[in-house]
Amino acid sequence: MASPTVSRVRRQLPSSPWLFAAPGLLITGAFILYPFVSTLVNAFTDRRTLIPGEFVGLANFRELLHDDMFWIGLRNSTLYVLGVVPALVVLPLLLALLVQKNIPGITFFRSAFYTPVVASIVVVGLIWVWLLDERGLVNSLLEAIGVGRVGFLSDQWLLLLSAMAVTVWKGLGYYMIIYLAALANVPRELHEAAAVDGAGAVRRFLTVTVPAVRSTMVLVGALSSVAAFKVFSEVYLMAGPSGGPAGEDTTLVMLVQRTGTGLTGRVGYASAISVVVFVVTVALMLLVLRADRKDAS
Amino acid sequence: MPLSRRALAAAFAVCVALPLSACGSSGGDSAGADASGKVEGNITFQTWNLRANFKDYFEGLIADFEKKYPGTEVKWIDQPAEGYADKISADAAGGTLPDVVNVSPDLVAPLAKAGLALDLDKAAGKYREEYLDGAWASHQVPGLKGTYAFPWYLNTGPLFYNKTLFKEAGLDPEQPPKTYDEVFDAALTMAEKTDGKVATLANVPTIEDFGRYGVPLMNKEGTAFAFNDAKGVQLLTKYKELYDAKALDPQALTATPESSGKKFLTGAVAMNPGSALDLGNFKKQAPNLYKNIGITDQITSTGHVNMYVMGVMVNAQTKRTPAAVAFAHYVTDAEHQMSFAKKVAIFPSTAGSLDDPYFTKEDGTDETRVRVAAAKSLKNAVNYTPVLFSEQMKTALRNEVAKALQGKESPKEALDNAVAACDRLLQQQG
Repeated sequence: MASPTVSRVRRQLPSSPWLFAAPGLLITGAFILYPFVSTLVNAFTDRRTLIPGEFVGLANFRELLHDDMFWIGLRNSTLYVLGVVPALVVLPLLLALLVQKNIPGITFFRSAFYTPVVASIVVVGLIWVWLLDERGLVNSLLEAIGVGRVGFLSDQWLLLLSAMAVTVWKGLGYYMIIYLAALANVPRELHEAAAVDGAGAVRRFLTVTVPAVRSTMVLVGALSSVAAFKVFSEVYLMAGPSGGPAGEDTTLVMLVQRTGTGLTGRVGYASAISVVVFVVTVALMLLVLRADRKDAS
Repeated sequence: MPLSRRALAAAFAVCVALPLSACGSSGGDSAGADASGKVEGNITFQTWNLRANFKDYFEGLIADFEKKYPGTEVKWIDQPAEGYADKISADAAGGTLPDVVNVSPDLVAPLAKAGLALDLDKAAGKYREEYLDGAWASHQVPGLKGTYAFPWYLNTGPLFYNKTLFKEAGLDPEQPPKTYDEVFDAALTMAEKTDGKVATLANVPTIEDFGRYGVPLMNKEGTAFAFNDAKGVQLLTKYKELYDAKALDPQALTATPESSGKKFLTGAVAMNPGSALDLGNFKKQAPNLYKNIGITDQITSTGHVNMYVMGVMVNAQTKRTPAAVAFAHYVTDAEHQMSFAKKVAIFPSTAGSLDDPYFTKEDGTDETRVRVAAAKSLKNAVNYTPVLFSEQMKTALRNEVAKALQGKESPKEALDNAVAACDRLLQQQG
C-alpha cells in the first residue's frame, strides 16, 4: 500500500510517466512517425521539391502501373531478394560452423570474416568496382587463364549479379555472428548422441544443427529479405547514378532517390513508390514469419 | 488516462496536419525586394566545394567586404560537391536557404520558379553592364522575366589526348582530330589497330554534345525539347557505330565524368574532354601521361565551344537584401573575379577581363597555351545545357542513348522517346 505522501505526489503528477517518456516519444514522432505519415500523405499529392502539391487521389499509383522504370525497379528488387536471401541464410551458417571450433588462430579468421561488415559500403563498393572493371584484377586473371575479359560492370545481368555478390560478401560476417550465438546454445549432448548413433557430419548438421538454429535462420531470412528488397548502395555504387546500362539495374529505392530528390524532384510520385516498397517489405516479413509458424506447427 | 489519450490524439493530428500544411505553402515573390537600403547586417554565403583549396582567398574577400561596409558580417558556409543540389533543395524546402548562394544556371531555374531567387534585373540592374552579355543571359529562365544570379566564373576546356596511344595506333600525334568526322575516323582506326583494347572516347553523348554537333536542343519558345531531329539521329547513329567497333569504352553506358577521367589517366582511353584545371592533375597523378599529353580544341560543328557558367544568387527571402546584393556583386565584380582567376584556372565573366594580358599572352608553357586558347574561345562560347534540363532529364536521355547503343532501339526511336520523356518532365516542373 502506497504511503500518503507518494499517493499525493501521484495525484499531483498524473502525467509524470508521459513526461519521462516524452524525449523518446518526441524523437520517435519527429524522425519516424512524422516522416512516415508525411510520405503517406505526399503519395496522394503531386508535390514537388519546391512546389507545394495538390491532392491527386490515386493518380501517382495509376502512373506507376504504366511506368516502365517502376516495373524494372520492382523486378530488380525482387530478383535481389531471390538471389541474396538464400545465400545469406545458408553461407553464414556454414561459416559459423567453420569458425565455431576453438583451434589456434581461429580468432583471426573470425575477425577477418567480420571485417567487411564494419567497412564503409562506399569503400567496399569502390574496391569491387576496381576489381571488376574491364581492366581490373579479376578480368586480368580471367584473361591470363584464357577466359577473356568479362563485362561485369557493363552487362545488365552480370552487374546485378556482381552487386548481389558484394551484398552477400559484406553480409556474411554479420549473420555469421548471429549464427555463432545460436550455435553456442545447441546442446553438445545432442551431437554426441547422434554421433553415437552413427550419424556423420552432414547428417548431424541436418538433423541436429539445422533444427536447433531454425528460428535464427528465420530471423536471418526476414532481416536479409527486407534489406535486400531495399537495396540501394551496392547497386548505386556499381551501376552508377543512372542505374546501369539504360537504367536496367535500377532498384526501387534507387528510383525513389532519383525521382524524388533534387530541386525538381517529384516528391509525391517518389512517395508513392516508397509506399509500395513499404507494403512489399511488410508482406515479405509476414510471409517469412507465417512460413516459420507453419513449419513449427 | 484521458489526458494521455488526448495527448496521443494531438500528436497524431500534428503528424498528419504538418505535411498537409506544407502543401499549402508557396514560394515568395522577389518582385518587391529592395536592394537600395543601407548595406548592413549579418548574411550567410554558401559556396560549392571551394573551402578546401581557397580558404584564404574567401576569408580575405569576406574580411575586405566587412571592412568596406562596417556593420556587416558574412558567415561563410561551404558544401561538398557531392549532393550539392540536394543540399540546396533541402534548404530551399525547409526555408533555410543562405542569403547568397553559389549556383549554376540549372539550379537557378527551379529556385527562380519557386520565387526563391531574386530578380537582379530589378534589384541590381545597375550592375548589368559590368558583365559579358552571354554570361548575364545565362541565368535567365525561359518563361520568366528577369535574371536570377550574378554571373561568376566561366570555364571551358580543350580535348586532351594521349600521344603515345595515337602513335601506337598509327595516328599522327601532331595532327589531332579537329572535326567530329575526324574524331570518329580516328576512333575507328584506334579500335581496329588495338583490336578493341583501347577506346578513344569514354562517354556517351550528352545534351552538350548534341548542342555542339549543331542539334537544336529546344524550340524557340523554350517550351519543348527538339534534339530528336535528323542531325541528332545522325550523331547517335555515329556513336552506335563507335560502340559496336569498341571505339567507345564498353563501360561508357554507366560512366561518369570522374570514371572516364580515371580511364584516361590509366591509358585505357585515348581522348577525354577536360579543363585547364586538369593539367595540374595529370602532372601530379600521371607524370608519364603528362609527358605525352596532347591538347586540341574542343570539337564543335557550330563554331561555338561549350562553356560552363557559375553564378551567385541572392535569396529572394533574405531579410538583408541590400547587404546580400552588395556582397554577391562584390564577389563577382571584375577585380575579384580577376584575382580569383589568377589563383585557379577559371575565367572571369566580367566585360573586358578576358583582354587582360594574363589571358592573351603565352609564355611557352602548356598552362598558358591552354589558358589563352580557352579565353579566346570563351568570347563566343555557348552554355549548351538548357537551364530547364533537370537531373531527371539527363538520366532519361542517357538511358535512351544507352538503348540505342545496345541496339534495343533505333537512334530515332531512342531520341523520340528521350524528347517525350523530357517534355513530360518539363510539364511536370510547372
